[in-house]
Amino acid sequence: MKITVKLLANYKDLLPPGSVGNTIEIEVPRGTTVAEAVSRFEVPLDDSSVIVLNGLTVDLNTPVSEGDTVAAFSAIAGG
Amino acid sequence: MYGWHGRLLRINLTTQTTSIEDIDPQVCRDFIGGRGVAMYYLSKEVDPTVDPLAPENKMIFAAGPLTATPAPTGNRYMVVTKSPLTGAVAHSNSGGEFPTWMKRTGFDLFIFEGRAESPMYLLVNEDQVELRPAGHLWGKDTHETTDLLKAEHSDEARVACIGPAGENLALMAAIINDKHRAAARSGVGAVMGSKNLKAVVALGTKNPPLHDAEGMRSLSVDTSKNVGADVKKGSNMRTYGTSYVPAVTNTLGIFPTYNFQQGTFEHTDKIDGEALKNQYLIRPTPCYRCPLSCGRLTEVPDGPYKGKGEGPEYETISSLGSGCGVSDLAALIKANYLCNEYGMDTIGTGMTIAAAMELYEKGYVPEDVVGMSLKFGDHDAMIAMIRKMAYREGFGDDLAQGSYRLCEKYGHPEIAVTTRKQEFPGYDPRGSQGMGLLYATSNKGASHMEGDVAYEEVFGVPVKENPLTTEGKAELVKHFEDSFALIDSAGLCVFVALRYVFSKERKIWPERLTEMMNLTTGIGYTPEEIMKSAERIYNIERMFLLKAGSTEDTLPYRMLHEPLPDGPAAGRVVELDKMLPEFYQLRGWDAQGWPTKEKLAELGL
Repeated sequence: MKITVKLLANYKDLLPPGSVGNTIEIEVPRGTTVAEAVSRFEVPLDDSSVIVLNGLTVDLNTPVSEGDTVAAFSAIAGG
Repeated sequence: MYGWHGRLLRINLTTQTTSIEDIDPQVCRDFIGGRGVAMYYLSKEVDPTVDPLAPENKMIFAAGPLTATPAPTGNRYMVVTKSPLTGAVAHSNSGGEFPTWMKRTGFDLFIFEGRAESPMYLLVNEDQVELRPAGHLWGKDTHETTDLLKAEHSDEARVACIGPAGENLALMAAIINDKHRAAARSGVGAVMGSKNLKAVVALGTKNPPLHDAEGMRSLSVDTSKNVGADVKKGSNMRTYGTSYVPAVTNTLGIFPTYNFQQGTFEHTDKIDGEALKNQYLIRPTPCYRCPLSCGRLTEVPDGPYKGKGEGPEYETISSLGSGCGVSDLAALIKANYLCNEYGMDTIGTGMTIAAAMELYEKGYVPEDVVGMSLKFGDHDAMIAMIRKMAYREGFGDDLAQGSYRLCEKYGHPEIAVTTRKQEFPGYDPRGSQGMGLLYATSNKGASHMEGDVAYEEVFGVPVKENPLTTEGKAELVKHFEDSFALIDSAGLCVFVALRYVFSKERKIWPERLTEMMNLTTGIGYTPEEIMKSAERIYNIERMFLLKAGSTEDTLPYRMLHEPLPDGPAAGRVVELDKMLPEFYQLRGWDAQGWPTKEKLAELGL
């Protein structure tokens, strides 16, 4: 199934070379979790990252579904 | 005394006299400094029911004990007064360079009282204190004023001043220092204008004596190294400043759009940090003694919005950008420059224009009153309105009163997104419930700078909280409000303080900050004692605003009754009633939100 991964701000640099913008569409097997989806891009899974599923705070072991968007950014002071 | 100079400068503009007074060391200890000590004096000397623009109101510039020390970001000052926008307390905070220069004059506080008969400016060069005529500066913008005063005195001088907006008493007028930094919110610039005070020029070399200078230097270097290590790894704050935030808030569905009618903006990628960095950024610009460097020196090289200056940061992108539906980044940058030059709060300015756009599009204010078409997304109309607000020309005279009074005048107060009549900053609380409680209870009206729990709900610092839940938010908001009162009073910037001088548990704890305070002052605070002082500050402010008549802790209609239509938080309103009673209880306030006698006695108030 296809999902979208969005890596915001400096995490954009973790996307494969040639990626356009901060978003990539990827094919994942059924049962893939949020953590597994972003791990493909070496997003740190500790508290140095904020990772959301369709903009919502979820357990990182939550399985993703067709059409979902997983977004990640580095935890840092705000604006 | 160490850390504090223990001296204040009192300037009576009516009698054109100045005097120097000692500050009671116990007051410094109990109220920390900066915002806290200034609030102590405001409470003692100003009737809370006073007209904020009358000579009887006072305006206090206050540096903290860590201002002008080696502490990273130890370079903030506060402007404390009764706000003409909110009728409550104003405590507006700024960095740049002026705060350190102010402290180096040898004073912790400047207290301005009365009203000059004609425009004046204040020169403080250590013990040389002079009120001078400012007729030649009146009418000039903040950049011209700063250049003229530096030319008159010294390039080493640092200047805080008002522009046309402050002179004309616009209620979103700011006090601008070092050309690009603002004590922005709550109309503090209008109070300065009401006193006929155009500028303050600071010169001096009197760093405060430190209790343990070597210990403080060593701890500060260590803290700066921690910041530096993150910057080296590629910190968003260095690469983008806060302009990276639109991508985050838009993803969470809390990016204020079309005057908070939506939580996502379809043109976010045209105005966010990536676009700014690729098109207009020259380089990051730090405040004095800041290892983070979130400021943005930018330039629009050509075209109708040609110019060079600083910004925009996130709040400006949110208010003058998505708030007004504006997706032209060059125009947005120009709007930011104009706010700095006219001396205006970008949040108040942008969100008031956004409210006017909604009034216009819904037909509540006719085109002949506005003088032009004023639709969302019309960046030229937005820019035209900024000038009209600053000079109070035509419809700009209505806008200069802020969005609440504007919407009330045209019969639709439900369109204003304010608390205590102050415009919301850039986090839609329907998708960030803790921020909703913060805006409702904030002593200065809606403000992220009063206790920004978005750090946890949005940014995961130091831990990630679910922004859509209400459980535990009362405790979190109380704790952040007190922690921000501490940071503002000590004289640090929250960006570095929250992450590097507090512990990293959910309930951030001022371990390293306490150590810095003790090395600086020699007091021997415990973290518990210093947090008690912060709570004291919060409560003395609370009593002032309650006595001023600002007794209702609520949110505007849209936040309580109009669910977000889009994004991850679609369908939600702020569930304030689930949080407010618990918040009052944790604060030791009664069911109407008044501090109890027991709480006041506990705090020595």
